Amino acid sequence: MKEKFKVKSLKFKVQTKTFYALYNFCRCYLAVIPCLTETAPYLLRGNPVSFVPLDSCFRRNDNTTPVSLHRKLFLLLFTLHCSLFTVLFACTSHQDKIYLKSRILMDTLVTISVVSDSRDHAEKGIDAAFSEIETLEKLTNFFSPDSEISHINRNAGISEVKVSPETLELLDKALFISKKTEGAFDITIGPVITLYDFYKKIKPEDLELKKKVSFVNYKDLLIDRNKSTVFLKKSNMLIDPGGISKGYAADKAVETLKKLGIHAGLISVAGDIKAFGLRPDGRPWRIGIRNPRIPPNPPLVKGGGGGFLDDIMATIELKDMAISTSGDYERYFILNGRRYHHLLNPKTGYPAEGCQSVSIITKEGVFTDAFASGIFILGHERGLKVLEEMGFEGVIVDSTGKIHITPQIRGKVEFKKPV
Amino acid sequence: MNLKNLFEGTTKADRILFIVLIFLSFSGIVFMKEVLPEGKTVRIEVNGHPVYLLPVEKDRVVSVDGPEGETVIEIKNHKVRITKSPCYNKLCIHQGWIESGAIVCLPNRVVITIGNHKENPPIPPFDKGGDGGIFDIDAVTG
Repeated sequence: MKEKFKVKSLKFKVQTKTFYALYNFCRCYLAVIPCLTETAPYLLRGNPVSFVPLDSCFRRNDNTTPVSLHRKLFLLLFTLHCSLFTVLFACTSHQDKIYLKSRILMDTLVTISVVSDSRDHAEKGIDAAFSEIETLEKLTNFFSPDSEISHINRNAGISEVKVSPETLELLDKALFISKKTEGAFDITIGPVITLYDFYKKIKPEDLELKKKVSFVNYKDLLIDRNKSTVFLKKSNMLIDPGGISKGYAADKAVETLKKLGIHAGLISVAGDIKAFGLRPDGRPWRIGIRNPRIPPNPPLVKGGGGGFLDDIMATIELKDMAISTSGDYERYFILNGRRYHHLLNPKTGYPAEGCQSVSIITKEGVFTDAFASGIFILGHERGLKVLEEMGFEGVIVDSTGKIHITPQIRGKVEFKKPV
Repeated sequence: MNLKNLFEGTTKADRILFIVLIFLSFSGIVFMKEVLPEGKTVRIEVNGHPVYLLPVEKDRVVSVDGPEGETVIEIKNHKVRITKSPCYNKLCIHQGWIESGAIVCLPNRVVITIGNHKENPPIPPFDKGGDGGIFDIDAVTG
């Protein structure tokens, strides 16, 4: 026996049996469908749903005569629903998403974002990348007595020290950058930097500074690649890898992620950022470059941790590239009208005065990090020449606030105000 | 049973019901996501280890011990701030209330983030909805 709905001029005049059938159908719908959709957890947790046995949906209250809602139609609808939600579920659950974690490492906030279709895979990659950075921190921490760098420093003028491949590679690259920047970037800046305390606003006396500057010279850092050893020729020399290790760590973190099959992500070790692959929406990663003369309020935490858009002077889109910025606003104090910041000229021991900020863009984070400091000290004229020679891109804000950019980057950087 | 026979056995009302149910299926997804809250949480980490995962809806004050000492965190009106910190520069306290993003106290190694920590990571505060414009930023250098 078949029962039909009657329709008159788009107004339902539903018969009792039909209404009953529709009612039971809806009960069945409410009971079964949530199980098949992603909304089920909400319903089950927030608004309890009583499950109705499927069979009861087709029976009257007296449990005798089956209600003749077309079984075939029901089965068709049910199958369609299953298919529909299977497709929807497949579309939503296996889409690439950005997974992000932050940790304090290397005395700064490190944020790792990865693109993956699986949370487990993403977390595995992120944890491995953090572990890699942690290992590098242990090897290169200037302040830790157990690090390889401290071991080299303690043996300055005494003996060579055998080091790990990572430390050797880092120091090797540091020497290369020192040569290219004519000593403007110098990893042996340690004796001078330890004289300043930017939080307590302490600057050294001129005489003391002059004495310590004589211990700063990257040419006295000797590396034996065959023996994997490092030697500082003069006692009192100190290696401070703070100007290069964060960029290097970003490189190593990306290597780790790629080895684990992560195809896209963004590593921010403070202001040293490395992007690889594309965002889930197919766009490159968009990085903001901070305005050096707008004090962030609230304090801007680099790497996507916090801050206001007013702090940003420009944006750039990156894919498989790194960017680092060195600025005179990061660690500084003002004394007698003079700004004392952490970017010290290795030849004088005083803060460099030619620039407000320097952003460098190239493939390797180790280069962007160290060249940003070196070019800051060189100033914009000599700096642009070095960038041209190296084939790097850069944005330099000079001491007057004027922005200089390399020709290749024109059109790729979007400034908030016309340059 | 083929599809033709199946549709022959249906009336106009059956078909309307079918369309209505399909519509309800889609609208149900939208309804659930819009009406039911996603449950924002406040995650407090010390030295890289999660210490608290708290709902942002409930006002409370909690304290955590970092390497430098005690940091006191207040959750009120769906906002979070640090009210006491042993760090020298107090930048974390000066940051004030946040509704999204993070407060980081580097000296005491405390990281506080607001977001849907179960479903998605907290969204960086520069992301203003993915319009692709200058305000849609993944990270900041400098």
